[in-house]
Amino acid sequence: MIGILNIGLGNVQSVYNAVYENGYDPVFVDSPQQIDDLSHLILPGVGNFNAVISGLHQLNFVDAIQNFIKENKPTLGICLGMQLLATTGQEGGTSQGLDSIPASITKIETQAEFRIPHVGWNEVKYSNPHPIFDNIKDQRDFYFVHSYHMQCIDQKNIIATTNYGKQLVCAVANKNVVGVQFHPEKSQKNGMLLLENFCQWDGQC
Amino acid sequence: MKKCTACNLPETYETIEFDENGVCNICRQKSFKDQKIDWETRAQALGELIEKHRGKYEYDCILPFSGGKDSTYTLWYLIKHFNIRPLVVQFNHGFMRDTLLENNIRTFKKLGVDVISFTPNWKLVKRLMLEALIRKGDFCWHCHTGIFSYPMHIAIKYQVPLIFWGEPSSEYTAYYDYADDEVEHVDETRFNRFVNLGITAPDMYNMIKDDYQCDPRELTPYTYPNIRDLKKLKYQSVCLGSYIPWDVKANTKIIQDELGWRGDQVEGMPWQEYSYEKIECSMQGMRDYIKYLKRGYSRVSQMTALDLRNERISKEYADQLIANYEGKKPPSLSLFLEYLGLTESEFNLIVAKTVVPPFEPDFKGMPYADKTHDFNRWYREDENDRGIIFKSKP
Repeated sequence: MIGILNIGLGNVQSVYNAVYENGYDPVFVDSPQQIDDLSHLILPGVGNFNAVISGLHQLNFVDAIQNFIKENKPTLGICLGMQLLATTGQEGGTSQGLDSIPASITKIETQAEFRIPHVGWNEVKYSNPHPIFDNIKDQRDFYFVHSYHMQCIDQKNIIATTNYGKQLVCAVANKNVVGVQFHPEKSQKNGMLLLENFCQWDGQC
Repeated sequence: MKKCTACNLPETYETIEFDENGVCNICRQKSFKDQKIDWETRAQALGELIEKHRGKYEYDCILPFSGGKDSTYTLWYLIKHFNIRPLVVQFNHGFMRDTLLENNIRTFKKLGVDVISFTPNWKLVKRLMLEALIRKGDFCWHCHTGIFSYPMHIAIKYQVPLIFWGEPSSEYTAYYDYADDEVEHVDETRFNRFVNLGITAPDMYNMIKDDYQCDPRELTPYTYPNIRDLKKLKYQSVCLGSYIPWDVKANTKIIQDELGWRGDQVEGMPWQEYSYEKIECSMQGMRDYIKYLKRGYSRVSQMTALDLRNERISKEYADQLIANYEGKKPPSLSLFLEYLGLTESEFNLIVAKTVVPPFEPDFKGMPYADKTHDFNRWYREDENDRGIIFKSKP
């Protein structure tokens, strides 16, 4: 069973719809007890790092998610959901993340003519192969909306980048955990394929 | 008009582009297909695909079937080489010809297969033909959409995920090219890209509902199924021609020898040279005639282009066939006008609005092409049934 974390922050319906259209019957996860029943977990995007991580602590989600990840079950973070996988985040004040990817989240600093937030379609270039990219060609466009980005400590966790005045990390992986900065649920055919690939993934690389 | 220096196709051909030598992109695809594709790897992938599905459902695959050379070859090939158990699905567009029906019966019996044949409501078909003719100058919408969506509904009903089509579209057009898309998936994207002429079934319902008594459910055979239902099935809808190199002439020879498949006369075509192409439909001559009026070429150009690309005929011979056979009215024009309740001048006015520049058709003074041997057996409506039954205006 595929679960989509829903703690009342951000738009989760479009992620639900995209997974549903792919032929699955996902469930919204609003209590940590539900996590045990899942085969796959999706942490959707939209929100403020500090506010969301505080919310996860209040609802006792942090341990539950970290245990789920430790059990080698496939976990996907989208946008802010990807950022939450990092060790620390700067948005809304420095706070600890889920620490599945050794990385920090900082505000995008790029050339002056590139406006922040980075909004719209941008090309995703693979740096390492990964099962979530199966049947999706390299250098295809995906849809982005973000002001903060991930800076990885270990380059081997980076599986794709995008150019927005400078190279930004836009997809990361660590064993059974994968994160994408763009929104596959808003990225048409290739986004749908990426979500399908995730739903079929056994968490092995 | 500008024409490809290699195959003769003109600039009004859909998806055509010319390179600096005046050679078209479809010719370039052909050289890619011949030189760059690793057909051995593809053949291996075909075997793996079939084994993945074999024996798991009531049928190993769905095989959409018109009875033309491509679907007949596909059926023969998969049975002969893989001993596959298919459910053959036939969408009857309403114009199947005698020789084709005889071929089908012989093929089904010789190969020993289960077959479903579906024929949609003829009265609705006529209304759909008129609407598509007016909007797109292509009256075949019901056939394009029915052929590609109906078998998908059957795949869902029978829960059979593998669907085998025959020839990939990259043989003829560049909506997909051999170079970019490794295997052409016959899916909703392709359906909406060119198959349905940009008109979905719900669009079509809304276009006709005000003057034609119709229940939206009647459009189901022309509606692509829900993508979720197909995804849930983990469907794989592919062309055999993506896995083995497609050689029309060699394939035709095989089905003639092995299955006794027979070609036929097609209006407006040289019967000696091209007896194997598009024999399925008694309105084929009309389709080619409209193509000529819109784009200044017809099927003769397309067939000679294929032969030129395969270096089977000379340019001079191709030019001669085109000069002798193109630009003639098919005798089926009279039947077509009766079906749709149009006069010839009304028909000409409709088609004139869909002409592709720079071509300018001359509607006058075109001679008739020869009648085919079976012309007198083609469906002719009683006087009372002719035309479309419109709702009475309030």
